[in-house]
Amino acid sequence: MIIRLLVKISRNQWGQIINRERVVSGESISLGRGADCSIRLPDHRVALHHATVRQSPDGALYIEAERNATLKVQGIDERKVLLTPGMGVEIGPYELLVDPASTIDKVMLSVEAKQTHVYTPVAVEPVTLADLNIDKRKWGLILAAVILAVYLLLPMLFSFVTPLVKWQSTLPVTVLGAWSPGPMAQSHSVFGANCASCHEHAFTPVADIACEQCHKQVGKHLTDENLHGSLFKGMRCTECHVEHKGGDVTTRKDTSTCVACHGDIKAKYPKSNVPNVHTFSKDHPPFRVTLSNDPNGRPLLRVLPGQPMVETPRLKYSHQVHLDKKGISSPQGDTVMVCQDCHKLDAGGNHFLPMTMKQTCQQSGCHGMDYAEPAEGEVPHGSEKEAMGRLREYYVKWLAETPSGMSDCENKDATADPIKQILYCAGELARKNASVSLFGKNLGCSECHELEPSGNADSPWKVVPLQINHNWHANSVFPHAKHKMTECAACHDKANSTSSADVAMPTIEKCRECHVDNRPAKNKVFSSCVSCHRFHGGIEVAKP
Amino acid sequence: MNDSRISGFLAYKNSRYFKFVSALVILAILSDALLPVGWESFGGTWLGYTLGIISALIVLLLMGYGVAKRRGGFIKDTNVAGFRLRSTLQGWLSSHVYMGTGLIILATLHSGFQFGWNVHTLSYILMLLATISGFYGAYVYLRYPQLISQNMGDETLTGLRRKIAECDEVAREHALGLPDEINVLVTTARKETRLGGSLLHQLRGYQGSCPTSFAVNQLPVLAKKYTEISQTKLMRDLYTVLLQKEKLVLRARREIMLKARMQFWLYLHVPLSIALLAALFAHVVAILFYW
Repeated sequence: MIIRLLVKISRNQWGQIINRERVVSGESISLGRGADCSIRLPDHRVALHHATVRQSPDGALYIEAERNATLKVQGIDERKVLLTPGMGVEIGPYELLVDPASTIDKVMLSVEAKQTHVYTPVAVEPVTLADLNIDKRKWGLILAAVILAVYLLLPMLFSFVTPLVKWQSTLPVTVLGAWSPGPMAQSHSVFGANCASCHEHAFTPVADIACEQCHKQVGKHLTDENLHGSLFKGMRCTECHVEHKGGDVTTRKDTSTCVACHGDIKAKYPKSNVPNVHTFSKDHPPFRVTLSNDPNGRPLLRVLPGQPMVETPRLKYSHQVHLDKKGISSPQGDTVMVCQDCHKLDAGGNHFLPMTMKQTCQQSGCHGMDYAEPAEGEVPHGSEKEAMGRLREYYVKWLAETPSGMSDCENKDATADPIKQILYCAGELARKNASVSLFGKNLGCSECHELEPSGNADSPWKVVPLQINHNWHANSVFPHAKHKMTECAACHDKANSTSSADVAMPTIEKCRECHVDNRPAKNKVFSSCVSCHRFHGGIEVAKP
Repeated sequence: MNDSRISGFLAYKNSRYFKFVSALVILAILSDALLPVGWESFGGTWLGYTLGIISALIVLLLMGYGVAKRRGGFIKDTNVAGFRLRSTLQGWLSSHVYMGTGLIILATLHSGFQFGWNVHTLSYILMLLATISGFYGAYVYLRYPQLISQNMGDETLTGLRRKIAECDEVAREHALGLPDEINVLVTTARKETRLGGSLLHQLRGYQGSCPTSFAVNQLPVLAKKYTEISQTKLMRDLYTVLLQKEKLVLRARREIMLKARMQFWLYLHVPLSIALLAALFAHVVAILFYW
């Protein structure tokens, strides 16, 4: 069955009105953008073969979409549409309208491009950053506002409002931490976020009084408070003690503050007799040893190297004998001793514990004080009177057990009470025998001690007090504990010393073998003033 | 690289600012190096305060460049204590670049390498970021104009877009008579090929799975598939047009990318610089508040 359609194209895809009519006939009539279509709809939105008009057995015309193509009727996708008068069908931009005046014999189809093709350039999108309308300054101002709020206003608020100060100390992260330039020293970490502990007043440097609230016992540099006050006037604790650097201590390790005065000490204090010093390695003065040779407690002497050093400890002691590499005779047999057997470091690690007869000399059973002349017993150490008293007790006991011993007494009083006789004789024997044994030359006490007459009848001898030096460098500190890796003899040559009067303190040259000043040097140890000296030590300025 | 441009601001007035900043930096480094070892290096020492004040003044000077640039007040003569000073754009820019570079070293020495989670380090980091973005700016200012010229010649982006649209139209017309698959390919290449777009798109300078490039790659494949169709010439013409379009698209995208990259650093530099000024202010107040 042949279909005949009167096709009227009223407007093409460019929107031009053309009103061209033609008759299209065939068993089926194809529509599409392809050149071989009966009704050509040239637009890229139309398929090559979009739809076909066919006639049903009852003579009605219908239009059917090809595969992958759709028809639209009033916006709804359809596959097959009956072409009744007045029916409109959309194919891409085209509208096909069956003329209402059409009859079954004469169907008129009006074709009109409703959506005309527009010659559009490539998709219009922003092609410059200016097109994006990003305001550089606005973003900067927002950032600045956030920074000022978080890092300026908030910390200020937390500085002034006391409840907030307390509250933030309970937080893991404090607001005022944003202002802290670094961690507190370990000893000051107790203050936490309470900045006002030290920073008492806003916009005012930390005052010394803030430090002195806790550090009440800190000594002055000079014992003469007036001199200290005048020389250090205006100087603040914070000039030497730097906080917010973490670590254990706050003391500055550089030498500049010390050298500012000690580089030209007379400019600071014309009466000073202290030599100038700039660096340890170059112009630090030779070590001056503090001797203890004045039994009357006068100021200790400080002797320069090269000058005769006379130390009078009043103790007979030979390091050579005790440090004999073959060993020294002891109750345990021959024993090789080392320095640490007698010289034991104190808890501070700088000095040594005082040596005592019991702890030091009588260790391992050495230097016992047994008496057998002929009364027997142990004599106590430390007091001549006690020793003589104990001796008399031994003789009383001996005379009671051995009456024949009374014959050794010279001044016998036959009429006296026997008990008084024994007591008298015991005293006589004790004095007589002790004079040649306990207090004899190079025997008993005088093996180690110097003796002198006491003028006392009961104990006519006394031991000259010892003057053992405990602090050879009174104005400096030497941390022995930090030098454990070095043998004692490397600094103190005592191996061949036969007298305790021998001084074996190292000179500055010995220290310089390892230590250099505050500049790095190969195989040398960095040393600053505070490595050995303490500012708050209380130096006594010598009177002119 | 354009030598005259380099001599324009890098070597301005016989490298006056380079010499000045170099001297300043060397002096600062020597001052720090000659300090006694063990010296507690940080902003609170006399050297720290000195370097901090100099650094803060430099920041203000650098910000002054931005203000002067916005006001367009570069070229003017000023009488300072009887001396006639003439400020120029090149002079400002030269000092801006060298002062900014020197600032990194001065501020680092000022910090004494003491960093932490605080406003002081925040200022330092913002200074670094602003300066680094400035370095990038100086680099693109020297390098990119040449790249843009090489890419575009006498062409303009508007001209390229017009030519791309013309190619699209020709391709559309060619595809009308070709199978639907090819028509869809051409339509997609027309509709979905993107030039520019968001900040990221502009900076990237390419479109992932570009429809035009896809069409160029697919067309030979489809041509083999539809060997029975007789429009061989049409296919060849379409391919030629799409190839031409692809080249134009790539050029346009590169143009957009180069321009975006040439301008983008300012979108970091300006906000970071303003933020730095705020952080610097907070830094100074914090230091003086808890002196």
